[in-house]
Amino acid sequence: MKKRYWVGILATLLAGFTLSQQGPFQQRVQQAINSGGSKFAQTMKQDPDQALCSQYRDKLPPEQVGAFLERQRALIKYPANGKLMGDWKQGEALFTNPRKGNCYACHTGDPKEAGAGRMGPGLVGYGARGTSEAVVKYTYDKIYNAWATMPCSLMYRAGHHGILTPEETAHVTAFLLDPASPVNAKR
Amino acid sequence: MRDRSLWIGFLLALGLGLGIALTQQQEVDPYKEAERQRELFRQTAGILPGELYAAQGEELFAQKRGPKNVSLEACDFGLGPGKLEGALTQLPRYFADTRRVEDLETRIVSCMVNLQGFRPQDIKRDDVKALTAYVASKSTEMPINVVPKTSQEIAMYNLGRELWYHRAGDRDMNCAICHDSYAGGKVRLSPVRSPRQGLSNEWPAYRFEADKLYTLQDRIAFCYESVGIHPPEFYSEPYIALSIYMLAEATKGKNKFTELPGFTR
Ligand code: HEC
Ligand code: HEC
Repeated sequence: MKKRYWVGILATLLAGFTLSQQGPFQQRVQQAINSGGSKFAQTMKQDPDQALCSQYRDKLPPEQVGAFLERQRALIKYPANGKLMGDWKQGEALFTNPRKGNCYACHTGDPKEAGAGRMGPGLVGYGARGTSEAVVKYTYDKIYNAWATMPCSLMYRAGHHGILTPEETAHVTAFLLDPASPVNAKR
Repeated sequence: MRDRSLWIGFLLALGLGLGIALTQQQEVDPYKEAERQRELFRQTAGILPGELYAAQGEELFAQKRGPKNVSLEACDFGLGPGKLEGALTQLPRYFADTRRVEDLETRIVSCMVNLQGFRPQDIKRDDVKALTAYVASKSTEMPINVVPKTSQEIAMYNLGRELWYHRAGDRDMNCAICHDSYAGGKVRLSPVRSPRQGLSNEWPAYRFEADKLYTLQDRIAFCYESVGIHPPEFYSEPYIALSIYMLAEATKGKNKFTELPGFTR
């Protein structure tokens, strides 16, 4: 009787152990990363959803999408004052700054900005969709955590990673939506 | 020798001065601009910076150096000792003597250690870069021919592919985002290519914007840096893995090397 009890515990431990272990290939990948030095290895560490996106080459299987979006939505934080639209002028600086939003790397915004990238959809005239609560929230959420609406999007999660604070995210939201912003200038 | 180095330094400085003076224009096509800068060097200095680095490398290659006081002429880059013609076209590859897959840069380091007796910590990065420029110059405009065959090469290719898709860092980036999903497009003013389109076929190259020689490892490090990931230490596996992955894909796309060392922005 006692013996069986121990066998049971051992089996459970073993199962837990193997489940938490990486496969031999993943171990080899980790070994290669470690060979690049501790600073490289540190910045190459993934959170579970980054690992999932890598595993599926940024195309998540449909059955995993729901849970993924839910996990990402839970990461979004909002400004203390509850206002999701801030000051578009401050937003413009954040949108442009390569160390902050760096949004021009992928999007057109103010049409006067030369050399905007086109990896993301163009945002000139983005404010045409109005400033209803739904539009403002969608825009804020997209900027704060692009993965909460599009699993493994090319667009990084600027708010989640602290590149933009919730207040700063609200400023950038205003830069896109405020009718006075150059993004929405009449042409 | 001393005089020659000074002279090389002077020519590089001269070229840079002119380069800066004449790049005040904005919104230029990066390829046309590179071509223009190249011509400028040809006309004013009579020689390209990449050629100067290769000349430095040639001197280093033939010189008896290191604790064992021998040259690198017996170094085997995969085609036999001292055979440099086309050597870069088949690198990275597996080497039985070191029992690892090596790219051009790590192979040079291996030869400096094993033939010349240098301790790894005493090897100067600038020497390796000049030597890389020299050896690469013997593969100028040749077809890339990297086909992983041995189990070690195939394993290294698979590692490289995995790193290629590895999303990490504050910018949630991986190489595929810019170089696959977006190949053919532009990040700001820079056109980006995919490995099948020949990505990595111009290195080592002189980058006039940086006024420095960049090897392929330097170029990969630069991309990691630009997306907020601290680059791997030189000569480590991530570089070898990514290089064999990119160059094997470039081989499938039937690409050639450009003029080597390249001349680019
Ligand atoms: C690496 C490229 C990249 C960067 C940098 C980037 N984005 Fe995006 N963005 C995209 C892509 C691709 C999409 C479309 C897929 C998606 O919705 O996630 C997108 C979508 C969007 C959308 C939704 C567009 C629509 O019509 O619904 C908004 C708004 C947006 N981005 C704003 C921003 C802002 C603001 C920044 C800077 C903080 C930024 N993006 C940085 C690539 C990028
Ligand atoms: C945010 C976008 C981005 C990411 C992520 C990125 N690159 Fe690049 N890469 C570029 C741009 C832009 C260039 C410059 C093209 C030019 O102007 O020559 C470039 C250039 C290169 C080049 C030399 C250009 C050539 O044609 O030979 C290599 C090699 C390269 N990248 C490899 C990588 C590798 C490996 C990774 C992943 C570790 C990576 N890149 C990640 C944008 C990116």
